[in-house]
Amino acid sequence: MKLAVVGKGGVGKTTTAAVLARTLARGGAPVVALDCDTNPNLGISLGIGDDETERLIGLRQSLDDGTQEHAPSWNSLVDVFGSDAPDGVRLAVVSAIDKPEPGCPCCGLSPEQLLRTVGFDEQTVIADFEAGTGTLTRLEEGAVDVVLLVVLPTAKSVEVARRAAELVAEKRLGRLVVLGNQVRDEADRALITAAFGDADVVCVPYDERIAEADRHGLAAFDVAPDADGVRAIAALAGTLTAPA
Amino acid sequence: MRVAFVGKGGAGKSAIAGVLARLLARGGEDVLAVDSDPMPGLSVSLGLGVVDAAIPADAVTEQADGEPGPRFRLRQGLTATAALDRYALPAPDGVRFLQFGKARASGAPLMRSQWAFRQILDGLPSESPTIIGDLPGGTRQPFFGWAGYADTVIVVVPPTSAGLLSARRLAKLATTDAAPRRLVAVVSQARDDGDAERVRQRTGLDVLGSVPWDDQVLTAERDGHSVLDVAPDSPVVAAVTELGDRLAAHTHTAQAALADSRGGP
Repeated sequence: MKLAVVGKGGVGKTTTAAVLARTLARGGAPVVALDCDTNPNLGISLGIGDDETERLIGLRQSLDDGTQEHAPSWNSLVDVFGSDAPDGVRLAVVSAIDKPEPGCPCCGLSPEQLLRTVGFDEQTVIADFEAGTGTLTRLEEGAVDVVLLVVLPTAKSVEVARRAAELVAEKRLGRLVVLGNQVRDEADRALITAAFGDADVVCVPYDERIAEADRHGLAAFDVAPDADGVRAIAALAGTLTAPA
Repeated sequence: MRVAFVGKGGAGKSAIAGVLARLLARGGEDVLAVDSDPMPGLSVSLGLGVVDAAIPADAVTEQADGEPGPRFRLRQGLTATAALDRYALPAPDGVRFLQFGKARASGAPLMRSQWAFRQILDGLPSESPTIIGDLPGGTRQPFFGWAGYADTVIVVVPPTSAGLLSARRLAKLATTDAAPRRLVAVVSQARDDGDAERVRQRTGLDVLGSVPWDDQVLTAERDGHSVLDVAPDSPVVAAVTELGDRLAAHTHTAQAALADSRGGP
């Protein structure tokens, strides 16, 4: 099962991806969390801390200046550019680099190619995409099973999400689920349901405790597991991975 | 004055850039607001709503193979200033707004429009117009030189772990070929007085200003309005006003220093 988390920058893609990954892993699934963002922060939300997150980014970027050895295979990519996060989640930073070697299994494949070509077997893959629709424009049918589109109740975020939803439909990129995030009131909910009423829409309430976890670089899943926002995302996990 | 805003997605770059551009224009400057994000943003914050208008592909012509210089140039006879007059859109308070266009599922590719955008910015005279630019979130565009038109690049930093980590990466711009003359930070969504100090310590950048958290911005953002129009008394507007004053003071000092060095013996 491969799931892509997409949306405008700052809408909560990474927090969502992390809560989903931790929830599924705690439930017993073998979870690989792929950070596909060229500005990768997924480690923080998974709970490995700022320093380890920064170390992984540094490793990935060292490929560009030639000071980091390339991984010879996909499996070793997850070893070399990855880290163990709580609950058995394996995190790997697979974002595109500036100077990839063509054909190299660790950098010659863009995240969208990686998702299409690598056999993940029984693993559950949670891919945190770069902000915007760039990766979706290059993604091919069959590369992922579910696209989770995160949208804030703001005009800009809704507009970006509309464009993303168009791409998912036009390119048949999989099942589309819209996650309305940081919903505070009926007006917020109305904005999102008016834009995506035909799709599968789930609303997650605004939760100050998630914002507080973000400020401190901690996983909301660890420090506020019973927060309404965390529980709403966790409740979604099972429905996303169930066979269609 | 030429300023570009960079930072993590959702940091508040467009909201701050939009307010700053309009405030400077109200002060009498000729202001050009530029947006190099393929997704909508700055036009909404300026109060224009969602605008898809692209610079047309025929604004540039392709160089023949083997010719030196950039692959595309503004077509013969089209100067940067003339292109600006033709392709910039009018925004509130007399601001002019330029973007290369916005990506759509089945829209035309934007490559030629992007070249035109960069060629226009490269070709404008340095003294005028004032340019306020907004880059997409993240590190990619800044490191590829997309803020090259700016003498001051402002890293917008929300005081979250991810915001700070992104800003630490962007602070490394100073050591690259794309280094601007001046790289500073502005705190966004600040919650307490300690945030500016945290940003300074973690990024090593001078903090030029701090824009507080304000729920009124959320309402403006939900409805797709500029906070300047719906909540002109917001502390956010006051903070951006102050930021504009500091930028202007620095520009005048820099110009005076330049004039001194030119006039000196």
